[in-house]
Amino acid sequence: MSLETLKPYFPWITLVALVLVVGAINPAFFNIGSLVTLVADIVPLFIMAMGMTFAIYIGGIDLSMQQVANLVTVVATVYLAQFGIFVAFICILCGFGIGALSGWLTTKQFVPSFVSTLATGFIALSGARYLSGERALSMNAEVRDTSFGWMFGSTGGVPHELIIAGVLLAFAWFLQTRTTFGRALKAVGAGELAAVSSGLNVNRIKILAFALSGTFAAIAGLMFSVKLSGGDANLANGFLILAIVAVLVGGTPLTGGVGGVVNTLVGTLIVVVIRSAMVYLEIDATMQQMVFGVILIVAIALTIDRTKMGTVK
Amino acid sequence: MYQLNKVDKKFPGVHALKAVDFTIGRGEIVGLVGENGAGKSTLMKVIYGAYQPDGGTVTVNGDEVRFANPRQAMDYGIGMVFQEQSLITNLTVMENIFLGFEQQFVRFSVINWKEMAAAARRQLKKVKLDIDPSTVTAKLSFAQRQLVELAKVLTLEERIDGDLVILLDEPTSVLAKEEVELLFSLVRELTSRASFIFVSHRMDEVLELSDRVYVMKDGAVVDMVTKADAKVEAIQHKMVGRDVDKEYYREQKQNPYNAAKTLVSLQNVTVPGAYKDITFDIHAGEVLCLVGTEGSGRESILRTVFGLEKPSEGTVQVKGSPYVKRNAQEAVARGVGYVPRERKIEGIVNGMNVYENMTLSQMGNYATKGVLRIGEEKALAQKWIDRLAIKTPDVYKDCGGLSGGNQQKVVLAKWRSGGSDVILLDHPTRGLDIGAKEDVYDMVREMCDDGAGIILVADTLEEAIGLSHTIIVLKDGEFQKRFDGSPGDKPSLYDLVHHMI
Amino acid sequence: MAVSGTSDTKSTAGRINRDTLVKWAPLLVLLVLIAFFALMEPRFFSIRNFARILISATPALMVAVGVTFIIIMGSIDLSMEGTVSVCAVSFAFCFVWLGGTLNSWAWLALPFALLVGAALGFINGLIHVKLKIPSFMASLAMGFVGTGLAMVLTGGDRIRIEDEAFRSLLTVRWFNFPIMVYVAGLFLIIAWFIQTRTTLGRNFYAVGGGEALAHGSGLNVDRVRIMGFTLAGVFFAVGALLAVGRIGIAETATGNNFMFLSITAVVVGGTALWGGIGGVWNTLVGVLIVFVIGNGMVVIGLPGYVQDGVLGLLVILAVILSTDRRAISFVK
Repeated sequence: MSLETLKPYFPWITLVALVLVVGAINPAFFNIGSLVTLVADIVPLFIMAMGMTFAIYIGGIDLSMQQVANLVTVVATVYLAQFGIFVAFICILCGFGIGALSGWLTTKQFVPSFVSTLATGFIALSGARYLSGERALSMNAEVRDTSFGWMFGSTGGVPHELIIAGVLLAFAWFLQTRTTFGRALKAVGAGELAAVSSGLNVNRIKILAFALSGTFAAIAGLMFSVKLSGGDANLANGFLILAIVAVLVGGTPLTGGVGGVVNTLVGTLIVVVIRSAMVYLEIDATMQQMVFGVILIVAIALTIDRTKMGTVK
Repeated sequence: MYQLNKVDKKFPGVHALKAVDFTIGRGEIVGLVGENGAGKSTLMKVIYGAYQPDGGTVTVNGDEVRFANPRQAMDYGIGMVFQEQSLITNLTVMENIFLGFEQQFVRFSVINWKEMAAAARRQLKKVKLDIDPSTVTAKLSFAQRQLVELAKVLTLEERIDGDLVILLDEPTSVLAKEEVELLFSLVRELTSRASFIFVSHRMDEVLELSDRVYVMKDGAVVDMVTKADAKVEAIQHKMVGRDVDKEYYREQKQNPYNAAKTLVSLQNVTVPGAYKDITFDIHAGEVLCLVGTEGSGRESILRTVFGLEKPSEGTVQVKGSPYVKRNAQEAVARGVGYVPRERKIEGIVNGMNVYENMTLSQMGNYATKGVLRIGEEKALAQKWIDRLAIKTPDVYKDCGGLSGGNQQKVVLAKWRSGGSDVILLDHPTRGLDIGAKEDVYDMVREMCDDGAGIILVADTLEEAIGLSHTIIVLKDGEFQKRFDGSPGDKPSLYDLVHHMI
Repeated sequence: MAVSGTSDTKSTAGRINRDTLVKWAPLLVLLVLIAFFALMEPRFFSIRNFARILISATPALMVAVGVTFIIIMGSIDLSMEGTVSVCAVSFAFCFVWLGGTLNSWAWLALPFALLVGAALGFINGLIHVKLKIPSFMASLAMGFVGTGLAMVLTGGDRIRIEDEAFRSLLTVRWFNFPIMVYVAGLFLIIAWFIQTRTTLGRNFYAVGGGEALAHGSGLNVDRVRIMGFTLAGVFFAVGALLAVGRIGIAETATGNNFMFLSITAVVVGGTALWGGIGGVWNTLVGVLIVFVIGNGMVVIGLPGYVQDGVLGLLVILAVILSTDRRAISFVK
């Protein structure tokens, strides 16, 4: 088994190694119940990371996801009473629309996705602040329970959030690996010139990729706001960086074309394990952030595929 | 003064330079001609230090030298003015002139711009370019940039003691007539301080400027003539002069094409900067080859037919109707397939496997409502792997890991399996071994028999002659001559070269 | 293929016009914004208000100038939040430990902070270059480490700097503007000097405009990169010092928001993300645009949420105007 064939599995290897190290230090880590809770907690982050995967997979990036999620938490809270469960459609539409706007700016206006999504993020934030009146809002508990109560609780020991995440993952995976759209995404990310030369409508594919990331951001935002029973323009802050980290560490490089949503699952788990590792290793709360950063550098150095990079910029 | 003795250079599979002898004396202008692949660029790279010879010696004023890199060659006064501009466009003219040698103007880490500008002005004077050295290079015209490159090379004068040898690689290809004249008079004046090696595909210019001309063919110097003795036709004959192996190109399989069925029609098409006023038709079963040197516009014409380049004038009709959107999508939908020159980045997607690449242009045929029928894709891939003898362990192999020949087969299979009947081949056998090349020739014949029309830009003139029904010769983007050739009645190499150069 | 002289000059002239537009567009935008706000509310156009704008802008300006060098090279530095926090906190500790007032040895804390910034930047560059990790990821991770380090150092506490001499950065005014503005101006000029008059500065442009060519001409690109990140770190440190001077507190959160602010400012100012174009004056204009909007909105009584939206639109506009579409076939 050469290094070449092992490369795609580096993220998995890193994850397993981390899990074993943490478990060795403190076997309590392996407690199924706490593991399940641990994973269920990061479902919104995972959903956002899945969305980010699509943007990065085609070689771009979506910096607006956090603000889209923020906007959606506000939208969900404000319109919940009026629409009940159907507010979900409005939220998803929001995310889709903003994502499509980012995609349009990137393809038709030649604005690099870094900038276009930075900008649409600002616009989404604007909307979030406006709708929320710059306050933190909370949901009417009754309506929330009747509309979205099914999101919580568990069946057979499996929290419903996990099931939702699983369903979304399956959907995203299917999209990525079994549809013409997913195949086209891969072509655009791995060899855009060849994709053009094969007659693919690259612009449309890119716009849809960003629309998808926006949609996932919206779903993440919706779940998050229902979970916390409220919404405000800053609720999802901090998620963006973690989502990007999850995608990159999982093995989908910034250049795209390789990796995908399953990789992002591994990446998200790595992030989660690193975070809980610090708790189990009884690392001082103040040191956790720093240790996180250092382990991150190590993880990135190990998982990136340097053969696919030309000049490192 | 500067001499190459029996210099030899080999690459895997290619004997690029065969015991080449070459001399240039003080103040001489020596021309270098040869067709594509004759070894001109390899020879130049050896001269300016990018390549090291495998055999033979290089001497400067009698002393043997060995350059490990271009900077060492520069220490001996050998510099190159590149065809593809080697200036960093966002920097100023003076920065480009002294790129890598700024230290002389630096004191305590601070650049003395005044000094650099004055020095730059002195250099620019040598090439009679009267511009402000602090101009950003991006603002200059191509002709001006060419002169800045020359000025950059001339800085060697101040740096070394000996005589300069300056290589000019196709310097006139981006210049207008008046600018060429200016360049030539400048070069003639500069012979008082340097010798020049002038490489160009434009025979008339080479003969006008040079004192002597070296003619290369297949990696060897076949002749050296002085200006007085030079005759264009004689040189052209020397440049070619091989027999075309008819078997190799499967000439016996060449069948007449269906002149009644026109597949693609170009009328007075112009793409500014590439080619002008081109008109031709291609029919079912026909192989039409566009022949010309680099920069003659051949590749651009192919890309126009595929919708990757948009003409400013003229119409492109595919199967009777003109292009509407004029993009690759439309071309593919109409049945046009493109096998690009840059196989690795434009032909296949490096990172996708055999069946993924094969269905990339026709995913609709292998999907139901957007969901791929991967089983069928794999079956398709397997079918063509067998049919074209593609060497791959299985259908899952990353195409980036296949050899060039097999990558090419995958690309051809992509178009053929999708039913494309206009196939554009851009240097299809470039970098392939003999066996793979023969496979490609077989496929070309098969496609013709199936009724496809093929527009080809060939790697060699022999290939062009051997494969095609029709040859169109281009020079500098303009139509020169058309040849029709059925087996046994094909134009000769000399016929083509005569119009190309 | 011959290209005639006239068509060439025409395209050259076209390019000149575009270049001129690119150069002046952000400044025009700034002037239009100032005029707009002044018209809407004359109070905007007062020395007092301009001073207010500059006071809030100068820390971000220093950070933005630092990251400008990196962006000119075609890379990016996302570590500023962490670096600024660490510099602020280490300055504060050192300052207090050495006497707590500028009149004592504590003034050494100032160059110390710059050294800390340089060290962090150096490590950042080293990781990027030697481990061959793209600058995006390397600097992002370093940012985490930095914020974490600041947290370790402070234990979550804030450190108050109450020394009058140090606070004079904010409190003492010359010609209506506090000293910190002049300090920032000084460093801006230093940055401009580096950019235009030193080999290092010009090397940034060479790497950004044609890395392979620069390398081929003997430039040690790796060294230039590492130096660039180190220099950025120094400017981040200056920004940290000004931030601490402004509010008199050093804490882990000192670095917050600098990332988005500085990158936005650089982009809005007209420096291209792919490198080779732009410079510190562009960044100055960009920073002013961002803070003028912030201040102007408040002065004319516009709700805060409009600010973000306008900023987003401006960012897009800035990039569209400054992009030469003929030069690029596609964008990622």
